[in-house]
This record gives sequence, C-alpha cells and structure tokens, in this order.
Amino acid sequence: MRKKHKFPPKWLVTSVWIIGFLLLWEFGAFLVENNPKIQNPEYILPHMWQIFASFFDTNLTTATQTPFQVVLEACGATLSRAGIGFLIGLSAGFILALLMNLSHIVEKVAFPYLMLIQVIPILGLAPIILALTGDIGISRMVIAAILTFYPVSANTLAGFKSVSTEQKQLMFNYAAKIPVTYWKLMFPTCIPYFFTGLKTAAPMAITASILVDTLQGDGGLGCALSQSLKHNTTIYVFWEIVIAAAAVGIFSFYLMGMIENMVSPLQRINRKLKRGDKG
Amino acid sequence: MRHFLKSRKCRMISSVMYPVLFGVIIFVLWETQILHSIMNTSTDVLPVPSKIASVIGENITKLMGNLWITTVPTLIGLAVGSALGYAVAVIASIFTKWGGGGITLVSCFNAVPIVALAPIFNNLCKHVSTDIGTRGMAAKALVVMMLCMASMSINAFRGLTELPPFSTDMMKSYASSKRVTFVKLRLPNSVPYIFTALRVSVPISVISALVSEYFIDTREGSATFCPGLGRMIRDTILKCQYSAAWSYIAIACLLGITLFVVLMIFESVMLKNRQKQ
Repeated sequence: MRKKHKFPPKWLVTSVWIIGFLLLWEFGAFLVENNPKIQNPEYILPHMWQIFASFFDTNLTTATQTPFQVVLEACGATLSRAGIGFLIGLSAGFILALLMNLSHIVEKVAFPYLMLIQVIPILGLAPIILALTGDIGISRMVIAAILTFYPVSANTLAGFKSVSTEQKQLMFNYAAKIPVTYWKLMFPTCIPYFFTGLKTAAPMAITASILVDTLQGDGGLGCALSQSLKHNTTIYVFWEIVIAAAAVGIFSFYLMGMIENMVSPLQRINRKLKRGDKG
Repeated sequence: MRHFLKSRKCRMISSVMYPVLFGVIIFVLWETQILHSIMNTSTDVLPVPSKIASVIGENITKLMGNLWITTVPTLIGLAVGSALGYAVAVIASIFTKWGGGGITLVSCFNAVPIVALAPIFNNLCKHVSTDIGTRGMAAKALVVMMLCMASMSINAFRGLTELPPFSTDMMKSYASSKRVTFVKLRLPNSVPYIFTALRVSVPISVISALVSEYFIDTREGSATFCPGLGRMIRDTILKCQYSAAWSYIAIACLLGITLFVVLMIFESVMLKNRQKQ
C-alpha cells in the first residue's frame, strides 16, 4: 500500500507562517507610516522591502563602505570572536562535567555553583568584566565562555548520568579500564546531550559577543549597531543588523545540529539502516 | 565511625559542607586581597566584600529605587509573556497540523539576540508616553514578554501534545469529548513543562531587563531619575565608580537568585503530589 501524502505538507505550513509574519510586519509598518505623530517611521518600523532594498544599496554610508558591506564585515568579526569564546567554554564545560562524573567531591563542590552561574545575570555584568580584564577582546571571550560553559557542562553531566547501570556492569565484567569505559560507552552515550547543550550555547555566545561590542568601539555587529543608533550611519544598517543577528543566531543553532548528524554514532547507524532499506 | 561515614546523614552534611567550604575559601581570598594578586587587578576595580556591603548600606534608598524600576517590568513581562505563550500553545495544540509550524517560527524568534530586540522595542515605545520612566518600563516589559512567550509556548506545546502512549486512545474509548480530553489529560500533562519553561525564562527575563536598560535614552531624565539596575551598572562603571557598580551588581544577582528560589519553592509545592505517584 502506498503511503498517503500528509496534507498540509511541512514546507507549505512553514511558508504560510512566514508569509503571515511578513504580512503582519507590513501591516504594522503601514500603521506606523500613516501615523501623523511619528516623524521618522523608518526608526520605528520600516517596510520589509525597504530593509531588503537597503541590502543592495550602493550609496556609501561610511567613508568607504555601503551598508551591506558594513554589516558583512561586522558579522565576520562577531562570528570569529564568538567562536573562540565558544570553543573555550565548550572544552572547559566538558572537562568539568568529566571531573564531576569521576569524583564525587568535585561534583558536590561544583554543582551548586554551576546552578548559581545559570541564575546570575552574566550579560548584565558585561561592563564590570570589561573593567576587570581591561581588554575588550579578552572580556568578550570570557563572557562567551561563561555563557557556553553552563549549558554544556550541565547537559554533558546529565548525559553521563543517563548511562544505565547494566551497561556499566557489562563494562565492569569485561574488566575494562576507566578510559576504555569512557571511550566506548560514556562518550557515545552523552553525545546527544552534549549537542543539546551546544545548541543552547551557540546563540548565547553570539549574543554575548554582540553585547560586548556595544560597550566599546572595536568593530563587530554590536559596534555597528550602536553607531547606526547614534545616527552615524543610515538607520537601515540597524535593521540589517537585526536581521543578520537573527540569521547568525539561527544559523549557529542549525550548524550544531549538522555537526551532530556528522559525528553522532546513532545518526550514523540510522543513515546506514536507511541505505540498507533502499538497497 | 565507618558506619557513620556511610550513613545518609553524613552524605547530606557533606553535600552542604563542600560547597560552603569552597565559598568561604573564595570569600577569604577576596577579603584578604590574595584574589586580586591572582587576577592581577587592584582593589579599585574589585573592592573587597566588606567595602561593597558598606556601600550598599550607604546607598540603600537609591539601590531600592532602581531595584523597583527593574523588578516591576520584569515580573509584568514574565507573567503576561508566560500567559500569552501558554495561550498560543493551547491554540497551536488544537490545530496541531498548522500550529506546529507556528511554534517553529516562534522558536526562530528565540534565537534573535536580546541585544537586537531591545533597541527595536525602545524605538517602538517612544510614542507610548511622555514620561520617560513609563516608556522605559513599557519597553522592558515588552522585551521580557517576547522572550518568555517564546520559551513558554515551545515547552507548553510539547507538554500539550507529547502525551503518554495510548492515553489518547484510552480517552477515545471512553468517548470523551475534546474538551474533556483537554481538561483531564492535556492540561495536567503540561504542568511539568510549564516549570521547565519558567526555569529558562526566569533568569532570561532578569538578563533581558538589564540589557534592555542599556539602550534607554536617558537624556530627558531628571537628576533623581532611576533608570534601573542594568543601566546603573553601566553608568557607574563609565564614571569609574567601581564600588557603586559592584553594589548594583550584588543587588542584580540577588534579584536573579531570589526569583529563581521562589520559582523552585513554588515548583516543589505544585509538583509534590506528582513525585509521590
């Protein structure tokens, strides 16, 4: 029996929602534009097409660059800086989770503080971290790393804990040493959990990087954003940045999913099974 | 002795003792300025805890004023946003086919950085009121609301649709109406998911309120104007008043911790019967 096609298909649902959102935006922009009290409608809510048109705007907004070039360059700077902090936080988080799983003392000491990190508004503390480190590049990495650290270590620890007792007993019966147990059993089990942590952390690291940019002029999306809000460049740079920031955040989320698909043993087996079915 | 070391009481004591001990060590290192030499900073930038405490004591009225300005929109945004998010999830769960796509769209909004959202809402609220304080509060509450709505609708939608296996079949075999299924099955099933959402959105609401304050235009404000904790942290640091900045930081951290502890207590009361089953 042939499988019935589901109606509505998924792409249709998604595109209807996106069109609906765009219509809502345009409606809002229309209201703002025709409100006599508002002098600069492009500061409040410009039309979507105006923002997209500004991507292809060839007029220079700074001395040498068009709006799109400004955003593109800033995007690259933000991504690379966020990436470094993200990698540091990721490795530190993973190592702490490993230590916590190996030693009860470390777990007892570190776990309450891990909870505390989650509750403390780290992003609000960005200025003081800048004052402490004295260097904007270092403080950007520190904040991105702290924000990455918590979700990665909490999720990885949950992954280690999810290994069933029977599996551990089996490894014990094989007289497997601890490194072997970790390599063959614990790490593969915790991969999905680890990537759940990464998916949460990646957009946060980018947010941190953008926020720190707004504190001091040193390139990056946040810097370009505050410049455009201070009327140094056209306001469309601001809207382009909003779209770019959202796109980069979503992209980082999907990138983690793609990497997970490549490295996860579970996904590899799933792919193999699929191929086997066809053949 | 050995028996005591393995007892449950001892384990309880040690699980409290170790973190407290660690905290005390850090506190002593900080107070005796050994931490400063490790981190290579001076007491100007990182004042000792006793100094921070005394600054808090001196400025208590101003601190409380700013705390109030930050807390009120945070709580309003949290409450309204979570309620709206739940409503969205309920609507989406009734029309599952189309609603799922809407939830995907909302989860995309969740990836938009707060830093980009905050100036949009500040601009939007420019014409809400002539009073700068009200305007700032409205902008903050809206940013918090957006973020809480997103996380609540995603989680509540899962709670309303990911039901125990065969439970919908059972309700069908009882010939129960959709409304009864909703009240007796979906609604109770979503309660733990509501708390999962709140655990995420409570810290995020505090953070986004603080960050949103960075973008408030304070030029029209009078001398006694309270812009909020986040703005004060930034302004005092720009003026190099580091001990004042640390006092605002301490209050902001306390706010985050208090809200989370209240949530935890609330959760343990609400989910008490569930864990017993």
